[in-house]
Amino acid sequence: MQSPSTYQRDRCVTGIHGLDEILRGGIPYGSTVLAAGTCGSGKTTLGMEFLVRGALAGEACAHFTATEPSVKLLENIRQYQFFDMNMVDSGLINVFDMDVLYSWLGLDKATFDLDDVHALIKAIVDIVNTIGVTRLVIDSVTTLCYKIKSDQLIRDFLFTLGKKLATLGCTTILISEITSATENAHWSSFGVEEAIADGIIVMGDNERMGHLLRFLQVVKMRGTSHSRAKHAIELTPIGVMLTPMLKWGAQIDSTSRWGQ
Amino acid sequence: MFEFDQNIAQQLSEVSLNSSVQVRVGNSNAFSVTASTIIPLMQMFEMGGVYISASRGAVEIIQAFEAIGIDVSHIQFVDLVSSGILGGTDVPYNNVHFVDSPIMLESILLRTLYILQASQSPRNFVFLDSVNALAIYNEDRMLAEYLHIFINTFRQREILSVVINVPDQTPPLVLSNLDLYCTDLIDRGNVVIM
Repeated sequence: MQSPSTYQRDRCVTGIHGLDEILRGGIPYGSTVLAAGTCGSGKTTLGMEFLVRGALAGEACAHFTATEPSVKLLENIRQYQFFDMNMVDSGLINVFDMDVLYSWLGLDKATFDLDDVHALIKAIVDIVNTIGVTRLVIDSVTTLCYKIKSDQLIRDFLFTLGKKLATLGCTTILISEITSATENAHWSSFGVEEAIADGIIVMGDNERMGHLLRFLQVVKMRGTSHSRAKHAIELTPIGVMLTPMLKWGAQIDSTSRWGQ
Repeated sequence: MFEFDQNIAQQLSEVSLNSSVQVRVGNSNAFSVTASTIIPLMQMFEMGGVYISASRGAVEIIQAFEAIGIDVSHIQFVDLVSSGILGGTDVPYNNVHFVDSPIMLESILLRTLYILQASQSPRNFVFLDSVNALAIYNEDRMLAEYLHIFINTFRQREILSVVINVPDQTPPLVLSNLDLYCTDLIDRGNVVIM
């Protein structure tokens, strides 16, 4: 029997250059992670690479897209060398348009009530269960939650969804759109997503003398020790790459637009 | 005709892949010392690599090498200058990559690492031209920190780093740190005019 000090949770190895090192081996298996970021910070690319790395390891993956049509998403992601359209054609990566899902469920309405939320959770969980999905990305949970008017309902939706997915052994990234990624900002649009999530990854831009430098910071990850330092990221053709941000650079950047 | 500094090739034959070499140049001999350093790496030691150009645009450097009959088409260039010039990124070479500005220090490192991951060569160098050009844009402490990380990143990966520097145009803090981090020094910074 392992002593508590040596016990290690099983990890979902993201395969993203540098991220597994930050997380000391990967995301604890079955976690729900909020990837909160400003526009253009690389959230969708990070989410898609997370799925592709899983698919390359033979895992079934699903992507629910609420911010852009799946055709547009796939066209944008095809520029990356890590992506192969065969993964979609062969069913390793399953991309679902939320609008289509709403239509299937008869949820063509402006706002969702409790029954609608439960129907949506059931539909997502059924898909995950049927396909045997072990990696899931919802892009974005912000867009999805705009249809849910009460904070309590949003909390219930995310909590129940996260719990059911964890039971199925699915590691989930919920993408969240935020307008600021500074130390004073909320990591979510509704203020409830961050409390529900097992992990929070913040993505944003540091402005350095008129140039925007993308960064990523893991501020919370239950079940593992991890670095909490800011890391600079670059979206290269082979995927997301990370390196620790310069300490003196952060000091200079703190006078910038995003750092105020 | 271009004359190589043969002593540089001799000195380079004694360094290992995880070395970091500071090459001190003067204003008047910068290109001849640069060429005398990079040509042996490419031709004698058959290395691939990345040339980070902060002092001049990559096209100007490529054409300077072509003018002395040196083919650098298998070297990848990371150009930190041309994005700051409208139309500067419209170049006729496919081995040139651009970073928006010399202040995007972390991006330079990541872009270089990306290129090296795609490199077919088993032995590689990274050529930083130059510290004094980076010092125009970057604060002393940040540049000193960057060079520390830069040199150690490549040493850890067994990639030879060569750092060009005009000492009298480099802040003392950066210069002293560079002296500390680099394992070898090729000093051609004091040009004696006869």
